[in-house]
Amino acid sequence: MDRELLIEIGCEEIPASWLPGLTVQVAKHLDARLKEFRLTPESKAEGFSTPRRLTARVAKLGERQTDFEELVTGPPVSAAFKPDGEATPAATGFAKKYGVEVSALEKHDTPKGTYLAYRVRQRGKATVDVLAEVMGGLLRDLTFPKQMRWDAFLEDGKGDLVFARPIRWLVLMYGGRVVPFVIRRTELAQGPTVQDIRSGSNTYGHRFLTTSGRAGRAIKIKTFEDYQNRLLENFVILDRAERESKIRRELETHARKLGGRVSGLVAAHSSLLQEVPDLVEYPSVVAGHFPVEFLQLPEEVLTTTMIHHQHYFPVVDEEGKLKPAFLAVTNTQAEKPEIIARNSERVLTARLRDARFFWDADRKVTLESRIERLGTILFHKKLGSYREKAERVSSLASWIASEAFTHSDASEPAATAGRLCKADLATDMVRELTELQGTMGGIYAREEGLPEAVWKAIYFHYLPIGVEADAPPSRQQLGAAAITWAAVALADKLDTVVGMFTAGERPTGSRDPLGLRRHAQGAVKILADLPELTGLDLRLEVGPLLARAAEPFGGYGDGSGPLLSFMGDRLAYLLEQRGFDVRSVRAVMAAGIERVSPLEARRKLEALAQMAGSQALLGVATLLKRVKNITKGVSSDVPANAISSALKEPAELALWAELEQRAPAIRAAAAKGDYREAFSGIAALQPTVAKFFDDVLVNAEDADLRTARLALVATLRDLILDIADISEIVAD
Amino acid sequence: MTFQDLILKLSAFWASQGCLLQQPLDLEVGAGTSHPETLFRVLGPKPWSVGYVQPSRRPDDGRFGQNPNRLFKHHQYQVILKPSPDEVQQTYLESLEACGINPRQHDIRFEEDNWESPTLGAWGIGWQVMLDGMEITQFTYFQQMGGIDLAPISCEITYGLERIAMFLQRVDNVFDLEWGGGVKYGEVRLQEEIEESKYAFGQVDMPAEEFSALHRDLFEKYLGFSDRLLASGLVWPALEHCLKCSHLFNILDSSGSIGVTERTTYILRVRQLAVKIAKAYVEKGAVA
Repeated sequence: MDRELLIEIGCEEIPASWLPGLTVQVAKHLDARLKEFRLTPESKAEGFSTPRRLTARVAKLGERQTDFEELVTGPPVSAAFKPDGEATPAATGFAKKYGVEVSALEKHDTPKGTYLAYRVRQRGKATVDVLAEVMGGLLRDLTFPKQMRWDAFLEDGKGDLVFARPIRWLVLMYGGRVVPFVIRRTELAQGPTVQDIRSGSNTYGHRFLTTSGRAGRAIKIKTFEDYQNRLLENFVILDRAERESKIRRELETHARKLGGRVSGLVAAHSSLLQEVPDLVEYPSVVAGHFPVEFLQLPEEVLTTTMIHHQHYFPVVDEEGKLKPAFLAVTNTQAEKPEIIARNSERVLTARLRDARFFWDADRKVTLESRIERLGTILFHKKLGSYREKAERVSSLASWIASEAFTHSDASEPAATAGRLCKADLATDMVRELTELQGTMGGIYAREEGLPEAVWKAIYFHYLPIGVEADAPPSRQQLGAAAITWAAVALADKLDTVVGMFTAGERPTGSRDPLGLRRHAQGAVKILADLPELTGLDLRLEVGPLLARAAEPFGGYGDGSGPLLSFMGDRLAYLLEQRGFDVRSVRAVMAAGIERVSPLEARRKLEALAQMAGSQALLGVATLLKRVKNITKGVSSDVPANAISSALKEPAELALWAELEQRAPAIRAAAAKGDYREAFSGIAALQPTVAKFFDDVLVNAEDADLRTARLALVATLRDLILDIADISEIVAD
Repeated sequence: MTFQDLILKLSAFWASQGCLLQQPLDLEVGAGTSHPETLFRVLGPKPWSVGYVQPSRRPDDGRFGQNPNRLFKHHQYQVILKPSPDEVQQTYLESLEACGINPRQHDIRFEEDNWESPTLGAWGIGWQVMLDGMEITQFTYFQQMGGIDLAPISCEITYGLERIAMFLQRVDNVFDLEWGGGVKYGEVRLQEEIEESKYAFGQVDMPAEEFSALHRDLFEKYLGFSDRLLASGLVWPALEHCLKCSHLFNILDSSGSIGVTERTTYILRVRQLAVKIAKAYVEKGAVA
């Protein structure tokens, strides 16, 4: 009969940001372990979590393991018996290993010959008898961003059991009965206050709240349903989605009572709404106010203080202007919520008072005069201080504005913004509210009366963060600063990426502590969306920008290979994130990242996407593969009359004529960025190209003819490859 | 509850939990963790439970007595429980009740906050305890001290005394706290805060170079002498002189006397010394 399996790992508070991942892990690893132990659930395991528990449940799990049968091969028969038929030591040794006579072994035919073999048969054990091993495996399987030792071990011979936080209780029940399992404590710690953790049928609810009995006591449970109900009676909502919807509901109600709504900023900082449900077991919302005088602080300072530092939700009026109020999500249902509200108000007010102190003090010193202090803040030990970084950014930004963007009028503001963009790291406000770096510098620059082209370039220079086409900032937000901003933002990111690579800092696997991927993506996004962001229709290649960024570091040294492939990966990532086909992305990046312009790549992909159904283009693409193969090492740089005079077959003459006629238009379309037109021109070549390959043997015996034909085909090849290696779009 | 009542309550509570009551380290340190009652006692296998107040100096936090929440010197109540008891969170919450904080009326949360001290070669896993949105305690399970993996694991509970007292007395300015017997915190400490802040930020009637050179010199002398003490097998005095270096480094840092690359070197030198001292302490078997 199928029975329910319920596991609850009772913990001290697990970090909120880990819980979504752990909820998935606990179910996934349980499924895998059940499978390994030949236990058959009727459905997949479900995972749940609150800060103090990781829970997994399998609604129906069979009572026995499936039987096990395996054929273990031993020595070849030829080596197993002496000529007189007596077993050799190889045979007796193998039999002995399994505790049987040689006569009990089978002969097993394989392609390599006949071998002695032993058939292992194991009757499935009762599920209850293997669940302890499943539990041990599950505890070992869970991984955490950071783990701790807590004087615990398992009796599986693998020693210490590290975990997220100490485990305080363990529920392991199958069919309503406890399956014995123990987490041992080390000898050094073991004592009256440190004990083994034994599996049981007790869970624990909210520490301070209950509907009956004493809060925080052990609660006996029977089934998952019972478990969930008993938890709710004890102020624990097991289901994260329910916690989140309770939070949303109460946020709305309270905001309405305050005559406003929850700030849309919260959507931009959506991490707050994502994080809060994992910080609480029983959320309820409390509303508070702060003195109206603090509304004079920049909105960014107010919201950052509320959102990042206090996990409070700001409230806005109908026009989106901040109200002097906030909403706090608490982990309780207080008899007198006003007590919590008053205390929260005091904490927030104290923080805002600090912020106002910084705001007043910081504005007494200009950004320019803070640059010297930047010399004491380290950017990277091999790359020097932020002062040096700012100098590099300034010079690179100025070069980008005048040389790459050919806007010499933007050069000076870009140099100024570059020089000042890190100065806010030396302000008290940013030292306290690090999330505001850049933003605060921009605000202070505005307060100093610096032009829009400068202050906005500073304000937005850490952006873009996302790779989506509409990731902020928008052209409208940038206003008159668009070009200087692009120069500064690009310069900052390129300097960081190139510098860090030359310093030997490279992201590996999931490790990217310096956020280099984000920086590189930001840079290619600016290039890919340059017209939309700045109005500049420039197809800038990545190579020259990287080379210029590398100059202060004495070039990339040996690092150019990894750096280029890294940049290529980041552009490919951006393009794939935007929904372009992986093969098409390869096609437009075939020239190598140095020679790729992200904007050009994007437009080619847009054109290719529009032509996705074109059989003619696909036909040329398929033939291009063949063309590339036969023209390896062949140059198309052959005088035209040398080709045309040698050709004689109608199909080859037709292709020659077609190329003569269409190539200029295709090249012209590509040159002006009309890739739809260019690809259409290439597609139109299809019948002629197809006929050529049907009728003509390129490898003619006559050497002159062969040379001419290869040159003809190479001409076709280069015409296409100059735009994209469309042979990549053909499915294998 | 006055500031001194709070100290008495916490002391009585933890004494009743079997802690020895110790006294503050009579040296300038940044936190109770530097006290040998923590730094040494958490090393090795011997069980140890202790509680004490530690005046803690953070030169960089000096605000000339003008900031209502920030101080050059604040007070920690430090508790070390070794090994860490299974019920430690519950016991901690009871200590808050003993101070008059009724957990049913408040929102008390344990939010992830790990602790690390680069100069002591130490780190731990834990939380900041939030009371209605205010951090009142740092709660840490030490994993390493002086570069040594710890076993058993000790739990460190560090109460921010001023914060908790301000909460209990409902005052918004630390200097308005009642220290005891009607005397305000400001009467006891304001002048000290102003003067210490001036010192920390190098506002001394002496050229900046000279200020810097003097502190560098003291650093070198204490560091060298600490090494000599260690070579003589005197780990306790060696630790004291190492801690003096740590504080001098903080002053050099807050007064803007050192550059970035130098800063890392200073940290590394103090850590190397702390690691040697911890190792020597363990090797001496003082921990058995």
